[in-house]
Amino acid sequence: MNIGNRKDIPTINEYESRLADLYEEYYNKVARYVYVHIGNKEEAEDIAGEVFLKALKSLKSYREQGVPMQGWLFRIAHNLTVDYLRKMDKRRTVPIDSVVLPGNDNPVDTAEKNIEFERVTEAMKQLTTEQTEVINLRFFGGLTSKEVGGILGKSDGAVREMQRAAIEKLRGIMGVEK
Amino acid sequence: MMTEDFDRILDECIDRISRGDNVADCLSDYPAYSEKLGPLLQSMLDVQKTYTFAPSADTKRAARQKFYATLGKQGRMTPVLSLFRVIPRSAVWATTAVLVLAIVGALVIEPVLNPPTLVPSPEGNFAFLISDEPNDIGDFESLNVTISRVGLQAAGSLKRLEFTPETRTVDLTQLHGEESQEIWRGNVLAGQYSQVYIYVSEVTGKLESTGQIVDVKLPSSKLHISMPFEVTTDSVTSFTFDITVVATGNNGKYILKPQIGESGARQEQKPLE
Repeated sequence: MNIGNRKDIPTINEYESRLADLYEEYYNKVARYVYVHIGNKEEAEDIAGEVFLKALKSLKSYREQGVPMQGWLFRIAHNLTVDYLRKMDKRRTVPIDSVVLPGNDNPVDTAEKNIEFERVTEAMKQLTTEQTEVINLRFFGGLTSKEVGGILGKSDGAVREMQRAAIEKLRGIMGVEK
Repeated sequence: MMTEDFDRILDECIDRISRGDNVADCLSDYPAYSEKLGPLLQSMLDVQKTYTFAPSADTKRAARQKFYATLGKQGRMTPVLSLFRVIPRSAVWATTAVLVLAIVGALVIEPVLNPPTLVPSPEGNFAFLISDEPNDIGDFESLNVTISRVGLQAAGSLKRLEFTPETRTVDLTQLHGEESQEIWRGNVLAGQYSQVYIYVSEVTGKLESTGQIVDVKLPSSKLHISMPFEVTTDSVTSFTFDITVVATGNNGKYILKPQIGESGARQEQKPLE
């Protein structure tokens, strides 16, 4: 493929069309990605909507260089999440008391789910920032290791290694606590 | 080297599980690693289960409307509105803006949110056919694919047209190679198109060897081909969408995927009336 050929560069209309296509597939994934960081579903949904608006407004500056458009969306999601956390003056903390988890009205079930949520969240906090990002983008963003590598500036082999180390760490912490 | 292999296998299993495969299948494909792999994949599922939630349909709909409204304003309104920049009177401006918004809403945003559904007609200028590139179709006694709707994406714009097939279920075992089946014919707006989508609601495969019904998966609920083609008013464009079934290894699993090399459009002169 000749990258230098201007005919290969998509037009702004084509980028808009591609972004509109990605909306249906990636809105939920972006919302989950944000939720893992901020622990608030309603805010995560609002930020997911903002991600697509911001992407739309920034399309003129978008160039597909190693990172596909879906990866670029998660970069925007990351930046908006950081802004949000900065505003809320908290860093990757989850308001456990206010968490309302899906399920029935059975108080025992709800309590068990809250305990599980706390256990997993505490384990996730033990990961490095990069490990958290790898887990989040792979498990919730649905990106491949290569795509995650494009976002983080790492090789896909390095991402796979970080992924394994992160899951082993999670396993160690959650397994011991369980 | 051993660690690299393991990292790669773990990575593959995570991808497969994310696409709907289960842990047991992955472990059975890599018995030498299953003892180490199993607990890690279980941890992955624990983490996913804890954080998974479905965003509310209302919030998503509101966000989608805002997105398309911005898209309409950004992509269509700016050049139109710029013509009126010389008009100083705010009342005229406001009225014009409301009119433009209404037109954009009706012509641009509404068709994107709710693409028009085309009506079939035997004299139409567009025919849609399904075929099957023979990969692993020989494993099947029958492979019925039910298509709920088909979408055509206009080139260089957000305009999308959809139609519901008149024949909704096709048996791919009957459509080997050059064989194809027309599932819809009707009138499609003349113009350039760039993409075709098939929305699949059900797939039922019966194996030739055992008679067993097997699960055939799709990468997502739709099959998609990016391929430019033209529809004109004075000829019949026949678009053949080739679907192929492929085994994913020696695990008895299959996936359906579009076969772009065997798909495409051809045009024939319309018979004189």
